[in-house]
Amino acid sequence: MSGQLLVAAIISLGLAVVAGVWWPRVWLGLTLAGAVAALGAAVGVFATGAEWEWKSAILLGGDAVHMRLDGLSALFVVLTAVVGAAGAVYAREYWSDARYPASAPRGRAWWSGLVASMLLVVSVSNGLHFLMAWEAFAICGYFLITLDPKRPAVRAAGWLYLAASHAGTVCLFGFFALLAAKTGGWELGPRRDDAALAPLFWLALAGFGVKAGIFPLHIWLPAAHANAPSHVSAILSGVALKMGVYGIVRFSGWLPVPAAAGWVVTGLGAATALLGIAFALAQSDYKRLLAYCSVENIGIILLGLGGALLARTHGDAAWGRLALAGAMLHVWNHGAFKALLFFGAGSVLHATGTREMSRLGGLWREMPWTAGVFALGAVAVAGLPPLNGFVSEWLIYLGLFDAVAGKQAPAWAAMPAVILLALAGALALATFVKAGSMMFLGAARTKPAALAHECGGWMRGPMLALAGICLALGLAPIVVWPALASAAGAWHPAWAGAKLEAPLATLGWVQLGLAGLIGAAATLLWRKVRTNHLGRGPTWDCGYAAPTARMQYTSGSFAGLAAGWFSWILRPMRTLRRPRGYFPAAAIRLERVPDVMLEQLILPVGVRVMQVSSAVRRLQHGRLSAYILYVVAGLAALGLLVLLESMP
Amino acid sequence: MNSILDLILRLDCWLLLAPLLPGIINKVKAWVAGRRGPPVLQLYYDLARLWKKGVVMSTLASPAFVVLPAVTWVAVLGAAMLLPLGPLGAGLSFRGDALLLLYLLALGRFCTAWAAMETGSAFEGMGTVREVSYAVLAEAAMIAAVLSLSVQSGSISLAAMLAPAMGASAALLAAGLFIVLLAENCRVPFDDPATHLELTMIHEVMVLDHSGPPLAVILHGAAMKLLLFTVLLVQAVLPMAHLKPLLAAAVLAGGVLAVTVAVGLVESLLARFAFRRVPLLLTTAFLLCLFALLVAWKGGLP
Repeated sequence: MSGQLLVAAIISLGLAVVAGVWWPRVWLGLTLAGAVAALGAAVGVFATGAEWEWKSAILLGGDAVHMRLDGLSALFVVLTAVVGAAGAVYAREYWSDARYPASAPRGRAWWSGLVASMLLVVSVSNGLHFLMAWEAFAICGYFLITLDPKRPAVRAAGWLYLAASHAGTVCLFGFFALLAAKTGGWELGPRRDDAALAPLFWLALAGFGVKAGIFPLHIWLPAAHANAPSHVSAILSGVALKMGVYGIVRFSGWLPVPAAAGWVVTGLGAATALLGIAFALAQSDYKRLLAYCSVENIGIILLGLGGALLARTHGDAAWGRLALAGAMLHVWNHGAFKALLFFGAGSVLHATGTREMSRLGGLWREMPWTAGVFALGAVAVAGLPPLNGFVSEWLIYLGLFDAVAGKQAPAWAAMPAVILLALAGALALATFVKAGSMMFLGAARTKPAALAHECGGWMRGPMLALAGICLALGLAPIVVWPALASAAGAWHPAWAGAKLEAPLATLGWVQLGLAGLIGAAATLLWRKVRTNHLGRGPTWDCGYAAPTARMQYTSGSFAGLAAGWFSWILRPMRTLRRPRGYFPAAAIRLERVPDVMLEQLILPVGVRVMQVSSAVRRLQHGRLSAYILYVVAGLAALGLLVLLESMP
Repeated sequence: MNSILDLILRLDCWLLLAPLLPGIINKVKAWVAGRRGPPVLQLYYDLARLWKKGVVMSTLASPAFVVLPAVTWVAVLGAAMLLPLGPLGAGLSFRGDALLLLYLLALGRFCTAWAAMETGSAFEGMGTVREVSYAVLAEAAMIAAVLSLSVQSGSISLAAMLAPAMGASAALLAAGLFIVLLAENCRVPFDDPATHLELTMIHEVMVLDHSGPPLAVILHGAAMKLLLFTVLLVQAVLPMAHLKPLLAAAVLAGGVLAVTVAVGLVESLLARFAFRRVPLLLTTAFLLCLFALLVAWKGGLP
C-alpha cells in the first residue's frame, strides 16, 4: 500500500509540474494531493514497520528501476511532504501571479519538480538513478533560487549554488562509481560486512556535506538562502539541506565506515554548530541570520549522528540509538521551525521590502500574527521547553551523557560535544532574542517598518500549521517515537525494536503541564493587571525626555559583545569615523561580517588559479611561426629524451 | 493524600521562604557596614505592596510585556520542582531532568530578555545584551558542573546526582558554582542589585519598565532563582543521602544560610568588577567546573 501511495504521489507531483504553468488551482490541488499521498506512504511504513521494495522491469539508463521505502527514507518523505505542501500554499500569496506574472508559473512548476525529485532521492535504490534524481533536485533548486533573475545578487547566489552543488556532485559521482566498481553493479542496499567499502565514506561525507552545509563547505548556503524567495528558502533550509544529511545517514548505515568516522563527524558537528551560530549572531540581514542558523542545526544533527557512529564502533552501545533518534527528530524539528521562521521572514519582507534588521522594529503592532508565530519559532529554535527543539536536543544530550558515563573512548568526544552543544544553545538564544526584537519589538526605525501590513490568509495558514506542529512535537513527542525507532532500526539492525531508553513520555507530560501552567499564570497575571489598573506612558529612559527610535539598540550593537569573542573567525570589517573637535559633525561606525570562508578562503584561491591560468594562456596567441617553434622544440625535446634513454 | 501534603510542603518552601534570602543578604550587608538595615522581611512587604498597585506600560510594548514575567516565574518554579529538597526529595524526577532544569532557566532568560526589548529603551537593550552574552559563559560552566556531577554519580537524574558526596572535586565545584550563582542572580561583582539607574547594570536594568504585579512576579521569581542556585550548590557539595530526615533538613537549611551570608559578605567586601573582567571571571568558573569534571572522572564510581 505504501509503495503505491508513494508512486501516486510522485506521479501527482509530476502532473503538477505541467499544471503549474497554466492552471494554478489544479497545480495546488495536485501538489497537496501528492503531499498527502506521500505522507500516507510514510505513515504506512511506520505503522506496519514493513519495508517496501519494488523492482520493476522498466529499464532506465540500462538499469532496472528499483525503489525502496524503509523507516529512514520514510522519515525524510514526511519532512518533504509537509514542507512541500506548506510552501505551495504559502507561495500562492507570496509569489502570486498578480505580483510576479512572469515567474509565478515557472515557480510553481519547479516547486513540484523539486518536491518530486526529493521524494525520488530518498526512495530510489540504484546509484545511477540516485545521481539522476540528485541532479534533477539540484537543478530545480537552482531555478527556484533564481526566480527573480533581474537582481544581480540573485544571479550570483544562484551561480554559487550551482557551482558548489556540482562540486559536491563530482564527489558523489566518484562515490557511486567506485561503489559500483567494487560491488559490480549500480544496485544500492545494505552491505555492512564488506570492509573494503569503508574508505568510500569520506567521499560521501564530502559530497553530501556540501549539500548539507557542514562548516567549511557551507559557502553557498547564506547567499542562496538570503536571495531566494522566502518559500524557496524555507524548503531549501528545511528540506534540501536534509537531503545531504539523508545521504550521510543512509550510506553510513548501509556501508561500513572507517574507524575514525565517528570522531570526524562529531568534530565536524561540534564545529559546525558553534561557528554556524556565531556567524548567525553577527548577521544583520535576517534571512542570512536564519541561513547561518541552519548551519548550526545541521551541526546539532551531525553531533547526534557522530555519537551514533561512535557507539556502533564501540560495541553497539544503547546510547548511540538515543543520539541517533535525537538527530532524526531534529531533522523534523528543524524542518518545522525553520520553515516557519522563513515564512515569517518572508511575510516581513513582503510587508516592508527590506532584509536589514536595523531598518525594522515595532512590527508586532501591524503584524501581530507574524510576530506571534515568529516568537514561537524563536523559542523552538533556541531549544527551549516546552517546544519541539528542546526534545530533540534533550535526546542527543542523553545519548552523549550516557557516553560520558560509559567512561570508554567515546567519552572523550562526548564531553566536549556536550559543552559545545550547550554553548551553541546559549548563543542561539542570544541570536533569536536579537532577531525577534530587532524586527518586531520597540519602535519602528524607518518609514517602511511603520507602514507594514499583515500578510493574508494563504500565508498565515501554513505558518499557523507549522507552529502547531512545533507545539505538538513538543507536547507529545512520544507519538513520533515509533517513527524514530523504525529509522534507527533501518540504520542499524541491532537497534531495531521499539525499546525506549529515555523517559520521553514523562518529558511530554512535563512539557504539557508546563505549557498549561504558563497559560494559566499568564492569564491570571493579565487579569490581575486589568483589575488593578493598566496605564500607558512613554518608555522610561532614565529621565531623558525625548527618546527617539534611533536610540534603540541595533542589530550590530546587540551582537557586538558576544560576536567580539569570535572575531578571530568572523573577521568583521569595520568603518569607523570618530566624532572630532568641540562641535563634531558626522560620526560613523559600520560593521559588516563577510562570508569569511567564501571571501577570504575560496575567492583568493580562485583568483590565484585564474592568474596562473591567464599567465599560461599567453603561450597561445595565434602566431603560426611561434606554434611551429613549439612543435620543433617539442620534437627536439622528445628526441633528446630518446637519445638519453638509449645511452648505456 | 501524602503526595498532596508533600506538594504543599514543597511549594511552601519555594514560594514562601524564597523572599527571605534577599532580606538576609541585605541584613548582612547592613551589619558589615555598621547600619541597622531594612527588616529581613522587607521583600515580603514590597511584594504585597506591588501586588496591589496599578501598572504603567510603555506605549511601545505589546501585551506580552505584562504576561512574560509570569512565564519566567513558571519556568523558575518548574526548575525548582525538579530540584531535590533534602529529605523531601525531588517533586518530579526522571532521567535527564538536570537538562530540563538548565533549559527552563534559559526559557526564563529568554522571556525576561524579550520583555526588556519590548520597550525599545537603549538601557534595557544594553542590559539584555549583557545578560544573553554572559549567559553563554555561565551556561558552559553550568553544563560542565552537571557533567561532573553526572560522572561522579553515573546518573543524569538530579535526585541521584546530588545524593553522593562529590569527593575531591567538591571544593572546585563549589567555587565554580558559587561564581555562577553570583552571575546568574545579578549579585556583586557582576551586577549591583542596590541600584537601577546606571549604565553598568545587567539584570536590574532589564526590568526598569516593569511595575505593579508583574514587577512583584519578577522579584519573587528572582528570589526563587537565588534559592534554587543556593540549594543546588549546597546539595552538590554536601552529601545528605544517609542523614536522618530532620538532620538533613537542618544541614540543608544551615548550608543555604551559610551561602546566603557568604553572598552578603562578598557584596560588602568587593566592588563590582569592570565589565571587561566579567568574562574572565566567568571563564574561571567554567575552568573550575571543568577541573571538577576531570577530578570526578579520575575518582568517581568505577
